[in-house]
Order: sequence, then structure tokens, then C-alpha cells
Amino acid sequence: MKQGTGLRIYAVAYLIFLYLPVALLPIFAFNDGTVIAFPLQGFTTKWFVELLSIEALHGAVRNSLFVAITTAILSTIFGIFAARASSRYRFPLKGGILGLIMVPLVLPEIIVGVALLVMVVSLMGLSLSLWTVVLGHTLICTPFAVAILSASFNGLDRSLEEAAIDLGETAMGAFFKVTLPLVTPGIVSALLISFTISLDEFIIAFFLTGSEPTLPVYLWGQLRFPQRIPVVMALGTILVILSLVLLTVAEFFRRRGVRRTGAKDTGGFL
Amino acid sequence: MKDPLIVLDQVQKYYDDYHALRGISCEIGKGEFFSLLGPSGCGKTTLLRTIAGFEDVSSGRVLIGGRDMADVPANLRPTNMVFQSYAIFPHLDVAGNVGFGLRKRGDLSADQKKAKVIEALEMVGLAGYGKRPAHALSGGQRQRVALARALVLEPEVLLLDEPLSALDKKMREQMQTELRRLQRHVGITFILVTHDQEEALIMSDRIAVMFEGEIAQLAAPQTLYRRPASRKVAEFIGVMNFLSATSTVSGDTVALDIAGLGKVTLSAEQCPGGAPSGAAVAGLRPETLSVVIDDASATPSHSVTGKVVEVVYYGDMTYYEVALDGAQKPVTISMKNLPGRRVLEIGDTAKVAWDPSALVIFAA
Repeated sequence: MKQGTGLRIYAVAYLIFLYLPVALLPIFAFNDGTVIAFPLQGFTTKWFVELLSIEALHGAVRNSLFVAITTAILSTIFGIFAARASSRYRFPLKGGILGLIMVPLVLPEIIVGVALLVMVVSLMGLSLSLWTVVLGHTLICTPFAVAILSASFNGLDRSLEEAAIDLGETAMGAFFKVTLPLVTPGIVSALLISFTISLDEFIIAFFLTGSEPTLPVYLWGQLRFPQRIPVVMALGTILVILSLVLLTVAEFFRRRGVRRTGAKDTGGFL
Repeated sequence: MKDPLIVLDQVQKYYDDYHALRGISCEIGKGEFFSLLGPSGCGKTTLLRTIAGFEDVSSGRVLIGGRDMADVPANLRPTNMVFQSYAIFPHLDVAGNVGFGLRKRGDLSADQKKAKVIEALEMVGLAGYGKRPAHALSGGQRQRVALARALVLEPEVLLLDEPLSALDKKMREQMQTELRRLQRHVGITFILVTHDQEEALIMSDRIAVMFEGEIAQLAAPQTLYRRPASRKVAEFIGVMNFLSATSTVSGDTVALDIAGLGKVTLSAEQCPGGAPSGAAVAGLRPETLSVVIDDASATPSHSVTGKVVEVVYYGDMTYYEVALDGAQKPVTISMKNLPGRRVLEIGDTAKVAWDPSALVIFAA
């Protein structure tokens, strides 16, 4: 037996296990039958056509886009603040503060969801709306934005801003003319990742959504109707493709940023 | 100094408890190549950044062209800086970097700005490199772009923070002479921060040697080398032999008994820190001693014999370590390898000639 064959088999098996369920989505999305089972019934695109006719679905898409875009912008802005502060300044309890910002990354989402629900409804007396979902999503997306942007800001030579100031710029001018262009790829990457996470997120949205469901919450609701499952599959196919495209674009920008600052590539998501 | 360009008046700088600058006072002239020389942590970079406006002074004053800089921010000071890392803007090409500081100049037309950039690039030997992206530059080229970017603004003072430390030896030596030539050409005051004593000697009109936030000696290179103000300065700059001695002061003369060399009477001027009484240290540079080789006719006024314990051959020079009778450790002697001059071997007996006028006496 050739050396490493065992490991090769393991790697292939691992990938199949990981992606087979995802691969089933498009298979059944194009299957001409309402029952999710083999053998396949024939090729159709009618489930995709049906997607277009469901009004409630369109509303859910709009809600999700609103939540995802707002979340992406807010998380990235917070991320810029935190990343610049952590890369530039030393302050008391810096490690602890940054740690607390990153904690939502590992907190169980169901805990975050319940806790926010209690706080928003019982303590603050607010009613649930898309904004409460934005609140929850911003909380979990900000750590991702901070992680991506910290890499961008840390890669910058401190002298660059000083050089700009030395050449006549104000501190503000130096930030906008030197720092910002250099971290722009990181910002684009952070926006796209936050957008993708928010778009896909279900648990927090499930707790915090009011009368206007986001797309994953709507999908969850549809699973109760067996005849709707192929439509859900079609929608799932679209979402998977969209996520992959967004993630790829995000990674493209991140790598371009690394190249532009001449730094060594030390990671990333893809 | 008549009409100094920069006046530092009792400049103090504290970082919390750390006293980085301990009352620096000096004057720097127009068109002078001035160096701040010292080991790392001596405050030389802090002082440079204080002049640039990147650090506030805790007390004291910095004046440039007679104007107190206390309320003048870095971007409005008549200084420009070449950073240790060069800080070339990675998102701009060479012309974009060099023209960065000109963008705000409303008094210049776009064509005039372009012409200035081209002129600056020619000056640093980078003519035709304008469209080159920043990441495609070598270390030496980045250094030149940084220089052009600062000089294009025609500052009154150019500040250089260890600008050559990132270059390899050959490139560094080339840039040393080139920087010096450039400075003479543009006539701008250069202030150079360096920890390399040789570099400071080669390039500067005057050097301030700094230790622990204070100027230990401020002098021209020759004075610094020949008449170091303290043993610490002497140790930092070049090589010096230190021999223990006993000294007796009488009026303007000092009678010395130097271990290994014998008795000699000097003028008190050769004691930069004041003539010490009792225990003293006599300093001699390696080139002020010589080994008499195969020359029976040589009758040096002062000579002793010793034994060669080490020979280091450099091609143009040979360094000998010679143990003198009565001296605690061997002295280092440098000899030019003139044509026909033999190189001694370890174990040879050597006649060592020395010059009392080259002696520098410090308190022990």
C-alpha cells in the first residue's frame, strides 16, 4: 500500500460526510416530487418558479436583507473602533475588554437569544421588531468583524500615520488618506462576513423576531407543511450558493488587502 | 552660536516614572549635519520625535527658527522626517508617495507639483521610477523614496531616525556618502539619530553623544575621537586602550606614572574631566601606538618593550595585542600594512613606540 493512503481515504470520507447533506439540497430542489426520498422522480424547475409566487416569502427575504445589511454596517463600524483601539493604544484591562468583546463568538446562541429576549421585553419593555433582531445579530457578528479588522489594523506600520502627519496632514486626514484605504479590503471582508452570518442565523432571530419573520425563521415555519419542503430545498439551494459567493468575495478582498500592505498571509477563513 | 536654527532649552521628558530626557540643552545651526549618537534607550529617538512634534516635552522649550514649538503640531512644523521603517505608503506608487505632502499646497499648480516630484526623484537617483508601485521597491530604493518625499517639501530641518539600519553593509556605506553629499547640495539642516559611531563620525559636522537621557559630549567628530570628555564616551566611540596610572598635579602640569608605559609629564589640557589627583586612567587610541618592526634607525622618544600575544590581520591593517611589562592587560596597536613591512607573529618581542601628546587622562 502506498504511504498515506489511509489518510487520503480519511480525508475524502470526511469531506463526503461534511458536504453530502448540502449536496442533497440541490438534488431534491430539482426533483419532481413532494416526497424527499429516492428514487428521484424526474427533473423540474417548478419549485423555483413557485418561490416567486409566495408573498410571505418575499416579505421574509426583505426582512432578512434589512436585518443583514443593517447588522453588517453596525458590526463593521464597531469592529473598526475596537480593532483600531486594540492595535494602537495600550489601556488598563485591555486584554479583558477585548476578551469580553470576543466572547459572543463562543456563547451558545440560544443563551444569547433568551437573555436578549428577557432584557428587551421584560426589563426594557420594548416590543419585538426587526431592530431587536439587528441588536442580537450585531452582538454575534461584531466579534467576527473585530477579528478580521484587527488583522488589517495590526498589519499596518504605525509610522504610516505619523508619516502622513509629518507631511502635513491632520490626524483625521492621515486616517482617511492612509489608514482607511489600507484597511478597506478588511472592511469589505468584515461587511460581507457579517452579512452572511446574519442572513443565515436562525436561533437568535427565532427568539427576537416579532410579527415579521426573517428568512430562516420563515423557512422553519414552512417545514410543518410537507408539501412545502421541495420549495424550502430550492430556497436552501439559493442560500447556499449565495453564501459561498459572498464568502469567496470576502476572502478575495482579504487577500488583496494582505498583498497591498505587503504583509505575509497568516490565515483567513478560506 | 550665532543665529542657531534649533534651540533646545532644558528639555525634559517623562513617561510616567521613566525619565527619558534629563534636561537637554543645545543649539543646532543652519545647514549643519548634526547627529544624535548613543546606545539604544539613551533618549536619542525621543529627542528627535520631540523636535518633530510627535512627543510633547514635559518641561523646557524647543525653538525652531526662533519660534517656540510648544503649540505647533507636528503637521505644521518646518520639519520632515525619514522614518526608520521608511513608512512608504503601500497603496501609492513612487510619485504618489513623493507628491503626498504637496497635495495640500494650493500655491502650486498640478504641473508645478509634478515637476517638483520629478526633480526630487532625480535628486535621489530614482529618475523614471514614478510609476513603480511601492511594494516593488528594494530597501535602498524605499530609503530614497522616503528621502525624496521629505525633501520635496523643502523643510528647514530634515530628521532621520536610524535611516540606514535596515540596509546591508555595502548599501549602508554607499548611502552614508550619498546622504552627506545630498545634505551639502541642498543645504538643509539634517539631524540624524544613530547608534553606529562610525556612521556618525563619517557623516556629521557635530555629534551629541547621549547616555541615559543626557548629552555626555557635544563636539565635532575629530574632537570627539581625539579628546573624549569621559571614559564612557571614549569607550563608545572607536577603540581605546585604558592603562591605570597615578597622577600628581602641580599647577598646569600633571606628572603621571602609567602602568606599562612609565613616567611622563603632561599639560592639564589633556585631562578633559579636570586633572585627577592620585589614581587615574590613561587612554590611548590603537593607532597612536606603533610597533617598531625591522627598523634599527628608529629612535622613538618614548618606547617600551613587550610581547606579542595576538595578531589579527585585516589586509590593509594588522591589529596586535601586545603585553607590556607592568600593564594589567595587553594594549591594542593598529599598524598599516605598508609594502615591505613584515607582520609580527605571536610570541615575538616587540618594541612599542608611543606618543604622550595622544594621551587622554580620566579620573579612575
